[in-house]
Amino acid sequence: MSWTTIRRSMKKHTNAWLIVSLVGAAVILLPVFSILVSLFLEPNENWQHIKEYLLTDSILQTIWLVLFTGLFTVLIGVGLAWLVAAYDFPLKRFFRWGLILPLAIPPYIAAYTFSTMMSYTGVVQKTLRELGIEANQSWFDLMSLKGAIFVFTMFLFPYVYLITRSFLERQSGSFIENAQLLGRRPFSIFWRVVLPMSRPAIFGGVTLVIFEVISDYGVTSYYGIHTISTAIFQTWFGMYDLDSAVRLAAWMMVGLIGFFLVERVLRRQRRYSTPTAKLNPLVPKKLKGWSAFLAVACCGLVFAVAFLIPLLQLISWSALSYQDVLTSTFTELAYNTVLVALLATAIIIVFAVMVAQVCRLQKNWFSYALSKMVTAGYSIPGAIIAMGVLALFVWLDKRLVPLYQWLGNEQAPLVLSLSIAMLVFAYVVRFMATGYNAIDAGFEKIGTKYAEASKLLGRGMTATFWKVDLPLIKGAILSGAILTFVEIIKELPLALLLRPFNFETLSTKTYQFASDERIIEAAVPALFIIAVSTISVIIFHQVGKRLER
Amino acid sequence: MNIVDIRNVSFAYARNQPLIIDDLSFSIQTGEIVGIVGPSGSGKSTVLRLIAGLELPAKGSISVAEKVVVDDSTFVPPERRGVGMVFQDYALFPHLSVAKNVEFGLHRLARSERKERVQEMLELVHLSGFEKRYPHELSGGQQQRVALARALAPRPNLMLMDEPFSNLDAELKASIRSELREILKKAQMTCLFVTHDQQDVEDICDRTIRM
Repeated sequence: MSWTTIRRSMKKHTNAWLIVSLVGAAVILLPVFSILVSLFLEPNENWQHIKEYLLTDSILQTIWLVLFTGLFTVLIGVGLAWLVAAYDFPLKRFFRWGLILPLAIPPYIAAYTFSTMMSYTGVVQKTLRELGIEANQSWFDLMSLKGAIFVFTMFLFPYVYLITRSFLERQSGSFIENAQLLGRRPFSIFWRVVLPMSRPAIFGGVTLVIFEVISDYGVTSYYGIHTISTAIFQTWFGMYDLDSAVRLAAWMMVGLIGFFLVERVLRRQRRYSTPTAKLNPLVPKKLKGWSAFLAVACCGLVFAVAFLIPLLQLISWSALSYQDVLTSTFTELAYNTVLVALLATAIIIVFAVMVAQVCRLQKNWFSYALSKMVTAGYSIPGAIIAMGVLALFVWLDKRLVPLYQWLGNEQAPLVLSLSIAMLVFAYVVRFMATGYNAIDAGFEKIGTKYAEASKLLGRGMTATFWKVDLPLIKGAILSGAILTFVEIIKELPLALLLRPFNFETLSTKTYQFASDERIIEAAVPALFIIAVSTISVIIFHQVGKRLER
Repeated sequence: MNIVDIRNVSFAYARNQPLIIDDLSFSIQTGEIVGIVGPSGSGKSTVLRLIAGLELPAKGSISVAEKVVVDDSTFVPPERRGVGMVFQDYALFPHLSVAKNVEFGLHRLARSERKERVQEMLELVHLSGFEKRYPHELSGGQQQRVALARALAPRPNLMLMDEPFSNLDAELKASIRSELREILKKAQMTCLFVTHDQQDVEDICDRTIRM
């Protein structure tokens, strides 16, 4: 590109929207950079200790957790997706979307619900004892790697199920029909056609599962498993060693970047795309008799374990405790949570709209890079973002000491890092992608022709936005806002790490009740979170239906 | 006066792609109706988008009404070029009524003048009485005339039309063609339009540019 073309292009594209987007993107990336900087600093004496006693174990446990959860979510997710996409059986229409519902239960809530149900005084063993069966305790021990894999699998498999199912329903028809005509039996079709073909969809789903697993703090810390995320937390909460915690986060970041680079290279050679433009939807085959019963049983079992049973248990616990929990403190708690979530959501939506607007009006490498940067937070584990934000705010506070003194506040050198601003900022970094993707999809649907028509009628970019774009993407903005809001309400690690002193949200309170072994009290805030999450699952489902049409 | 002056313009969608327009030059006088014809993919619509300011030429300069709108050191954004455009699929704002659509570009006029101008425009395109309708309640021919009224309302220096008849039935086409020429001449509008239909050219244009 010659200098004159660059200059021409800059003249066309430079405006206030672009400048705000660029500054915002830089601010969003600051915590990541502030983490990576620590790699070049001299480690302190704790680091040696961490390297020796914490690191190897937590890396190994993280790998096992990711590996087995990935494997089992693929088995369950793809199996159910194939069953629902390719066959007709009683209650299928219900299970088709009912199997997404486990996503509404955050894994950390499921973790303590199940481990309590399975404990000596829990409902399962009690029932068995009443039946006169004396059970071996080790069968019921969920507080282990096995238990965590079970919980993650049951409550995260819908990511794989959802993406694979919609892929199979929309595009696999003609291939499967051809395989049938070529004389393949159903099992071999599944193994030799369906599985290889849906690899990209499965991979997309598993990637989401892996993000959730490595980002998790609630399940792993409750079950006493040492992952890298919990190691970061322990270094901060246990040793109050910010430098080492940040350094740990930095190495985790480096590992993740390496993993994704390797994955990119490995996948480059096997990118599938459908050669024909015309795609046949898959026509489901009717199941009868025993096979229909078996299909219903499979879906029913998964649905019961991953949604119905924990939900009923939580409801019955909260019936015991709601009078003690639903006090004015709880109202304040709910108010706090909603307020912080609304504030962060508002910032995310406004900024996401601006960046999406800039990106769609100049489709080139630059806008692609901008959108990737802004949404990077989603693929970065909460613990890393938390450490980055913390390091950034502590640094800012140190720099701002003269200002605080000038304002007459000599005693409090920490202002920003003790304020709610830190948590809100972290939410914005982490969940920008949720809002952005919804809004981007909305813009994608209306295209650029209305904006172009408006400009040719003499309206500038900002007037065009208010008069034309905004009324047309209202729906997308609303669904983006709700999805983001719910993600924030559910979020645990960031809230736990970055909340100001004495500030509780629904999720931190749930977690705190649970880790104090006050499971019955924890059920009430947990149900609130599940109720809000269910709304988002339903919206997600509705949006998906509209897109399919 | 030259309403449009295009000098040595080249264009490619990206720097590593071949040129779609290579060293194009032409000009249009006030009041002329000019058609651009050529096979699909020859960059006909791109010429309109370049004049409107929706795309950026890699080389060359464009002037509208004797004012440079783009060259190596200038870029006048589309909203300040004084150019009207009727899009291939009309791009009527789906959330606004017919009257509001036509009024959209009249923000520089006083409120009372706006109403008057909207009425005037709707009469010109024979759609008086349709003010309160929404775009999806109109036929294809009616939508096209609303799009025309909307583009004419702010009195642009130049009207650009991208395949204005491609979405109409064959029967409608003939009557609308002569109507369009009449409307444009009545409004004393300079017009550049893109088509691949030889009949359009013969019925409407004063002259043609081949690509």
